Amino acid sequence: MLEASFPAALQHQPDPVVLDAKVAEAKAKLLESIKRSVCVYRVDCGGCNGCEIEIFGTITAAFDAERFGIKVVPSPRHADVLIYTGAVTRAMRMPALRAYHAAPDPKIVVSYGACGCTGGIFHDNYCVWGGTDKILPVDVFIPGCPPTPAQTIYGFAVALGLLEQKLHASHHVEEPGVAAPLAFPEVPYKVRVAIEREARSLSGYRWGKEIADEFLGVLDAGGADVLGEVDALIEREPDPRRAEVLAALRGVLMAKVVA
Amino acid sequence: MMLKLFKEIRKTGCGTVGYPYAPLDLPKGYRGKPSHLEEACIACGACAVACPPNAISMELTSSQDQITWAINYGRCVFCGRCEEVCPTFAIKLSDEFELAVMSKEDLEESCAYPVATCACCGKPYASAKEIDYARRVLARAGGASADAPAAASGASAASTAASADVAADVAASLSKIDLCLECRRRDDGVAAVRHAPAQGGALC
Repeated sequence: MLEASFPAALQHQPDPVVLDAKVAEAKAKLLESIKRSVCVYRVDCGGCNGCEIEIFGTITAAFDAERFGIKVVPSPRHADVLIYTGAVTRAMRMPALRAYHAAPDPKIVVSYGACGCTGGIFHDNYCVWGGTDKILPVDVFIPGCPPTPAQTIYGFAVALGLLEQKLHASHHVEEPGVAAPLAFPEVPYKVRVAIEREARSLSGYRWGKEIADEFLGVLDAGGADVLGEVDALIEREPDPRRAEVLAALRGVLMAKVVA
Repeated sequence: MMLKLFKEIRKTGCGTVGYPYAPLDLPKGYRGKPSHLEEACIACGACAVACPPNAISMELTSSQDQITWAINYGRCVFCGRCEEVCPTFAIKLSDEFELAVMSKEDLEESCAYPVATCACCGKPYASAKEIDYARRVLARAGGASADAPAAASGASAASTAASADVAADVAASLSKIDLCLECRRRDDGVAAVRHAPAQGGALC
């Protein structure tokens, strides 16, 4: 919002750290294949601590990042990898830079979490820079709010050149004249909406949709005795909670259609 | 004593998960990367309005003939509001979680849809696909709301009257579907002024 409503010349912009050629070359070599264990230092730049909890989850026995030689150290002077979490508040810019300069070259910078990548949900806040890449040269972005331990391990594997990244930028252009399919074309639209609404109000949008889809699938398939098939569906449902919701949907159907 | 400890360890087994050497066991309903079905999407923008961190955005292209739906996975907080509001179930949170990338551009995905222009003023007002979808939904709501599968036997006089009302509403909506919001408002205003004296109301 701020970026959009004020001219860029009137806004202060942070000057990002620029790598000199020699360091960049050494870093490229490091990123390609590190061939040794790495020490990780964690810098919190104004996050909510969700990311920190997940980093600690990653180094516990269940996910055990130390299998891959990844070790969290308490000082940037020992670190090969710096993990920046949080949306980089204005107050934390200097400490972030101090941690960066304290670590020996070449070092890998990882932007961790939605806030670290782009500012996340705080991206248009007045007091954040919105992402680590605004102030530092970042090598790997690990999105997630927060990233789970598995996502963290995958991010490290990408950073250390062990695994390839899977996500790539894509742009699709739709041809004119493509029609979106109507869901359950045989069920009257208003009946479908009433059933979906009831299912959602009883079970939430995710499970409600699953139950409504099952129910509407039976209606959509048609057949001579639709009500009989609906009753059979309720009868064979093993989960009593789901059966109750299905029975409520049957009630909606009766009220909407038969009455 | 030591033997007992070893026995205990053997009984407990290995607690560490196999990932990344083995696929990870994800719980049912895991909220991973939102997957977007291009052909089911009608580019209505409901997800862009609902998205709390503005990860999803909708913008007209500079040539004004396409509307671009774009998502930035780096900003997404995986809350699932987009999935909740999508009228055509075109967006669903998948169980894909390996999203780490080396460059920020790889976190972006976009999709451009043709735009429909207003029949009266010629301004772009909605995606052509959305108009087409709305037209088909209205046609179904007008034509088929009374004869549901189970109610073929007993349609009373009251429901026939109600369905005639629905049909009139649908016909009114369909007649103005090619107009943008402003033109529709003006049209409604003109119609109201024309009908006011006939209904005994005063012109202001």
